[in-house]
Amino acid sequence: MKNQVKVVLSVMLMGIFSGCVPAVQPQIRGIGGALGTTVPSQAQTQPLPLPPTEVVDREYGAKPTNYISAIRSYSTNKIPRANLSQFKYGKPKRAYKRKGFAYGGAVAWKGWLVEATVATPTRTGRLLTPKPYMFLFSGGQVVEHILGNTHKLIIKVDK
Amino acid sequence: MANFNTHFMVAAGASAVVSGTLLSMEVVMPEQAVTAFMLGTLGGLLPDVDSAHSTSIKVGFNVLSLLMTIMLIFIKSSTYSLIEMFIVAGLVFAGIRYALLDVFRKISKHRGMFHSIPVALIWGIAVAILMQYFFALNSLVSWVYGFMITTGYFVHLILDELYSVDLGNRRMKRSSGTAMKFGKFKTTKDKVQTAVIYASIPLLLTVAPDTTLIENALFSQDAWITFKDILLPFDGKWFMH
Repeated sequence: MKNQVKVVLSVMLMGIFSGCVPAVQPQIRGIGGALGTTVPSQAQTQPLPLPPTEVVDREYGAKPTNYISAIRSYSTNKIPRANLSQFKYGKPKRAYKRKGFAYGGAVAWKGWLVEATVATPTRTGRLLTPKPYMFLFSGGQVVEHILGNTHKLIIKVDK
Repeated sequence: MANFNTHFMVAAGASAVVSGTLLSMEVVMPEQAVTAFMLGTLGGLLPDVDSAHSTSIKVGFNVLSLLMTIMLIFIKSSTYSLIEMFIVAGLVFAGIRYALLDVFRKISKHRGMFHSIPVALIWGIAVAILMQYFFALNSLVSWVYGFMITTGYFVHLILDELYSVDLGNRRMKRSSGTAMKFGKFKTTKDKVQTAVIYASIPLLLTVAPDTTLIENALFSQDAWITFKDILLPFDGKWFMH
């Protein structure tokens, strides 16, 4: 009997010291992630990053998320040969624009502004030096574009 | 010195060439090219605005008073009633067209500093500022309009200088050198006036729109190549497009 107790105790001790503790099953990511990569157990990691959420500013509205496609589709009718042009995009910034003083000078637009540079080809096909543009967004859509990256009536809130 | 009709025709011709070139270089859109042409022509009449009984002063003040009246209507159309707007617009028009014109006639002197190169530049800068702050136009178009005013102004000054050469008698008229000058330096008053005009240029530039776009559009290597591209048919086929 004493021998049996000794065997059980020694097995338990071995189990404890060998770390033979039931572990959490490893998680396998699904389609779209790194298929087959093992994510460390929850006990060892921080929470997974959340998917990007919509940033909504009380004054300036929702930050445009798919601004690149919005600018591309808007530009087709507004910038000559936009479909052949090369675009480079900045990040959305909060901004507002005043009306010209001839029209009263009140705030005419408040929202998100995306700066971009557009290199358009000439009618002979030669690519010109990129020109800066400001695209003004309201409700996720481009409402106006302004040539240049400064304007006396546009105030960029985010630098 | 050339008369009103000559100034008008030459300024209109020069403005048509310049605005047409800017349109072809795709610096401006067609409707902007039309405005640029009109401003260039107006610039060609401006230097004679200081001549008390010239046609230019009447045209200039007519345009100014109409512009200010229309501007007032834009600003107040949402708040004023029709009768209020009619009264105020009438007062503004009469105030500029008659009262201000009278004051201007008394204080101005023909062939004073109005006929000078720095004043031509000041007009261009002032128009660029006005276009951006008052009409919210972008920096490039604002400067193109300013450039057109200055171009028209220079055309007038050059024309006056050319008319000061008497080709028949092969002599220079007394008016020679009074149209296109850098300043007046005879009396202390002239010197002060010239100094004030020159000092106002950098001051105006501090509030003027950004010049990067106009520099790239008109005074860069890229602009020169674009000009050469549009000067002749790029594929060698004349009138076949």
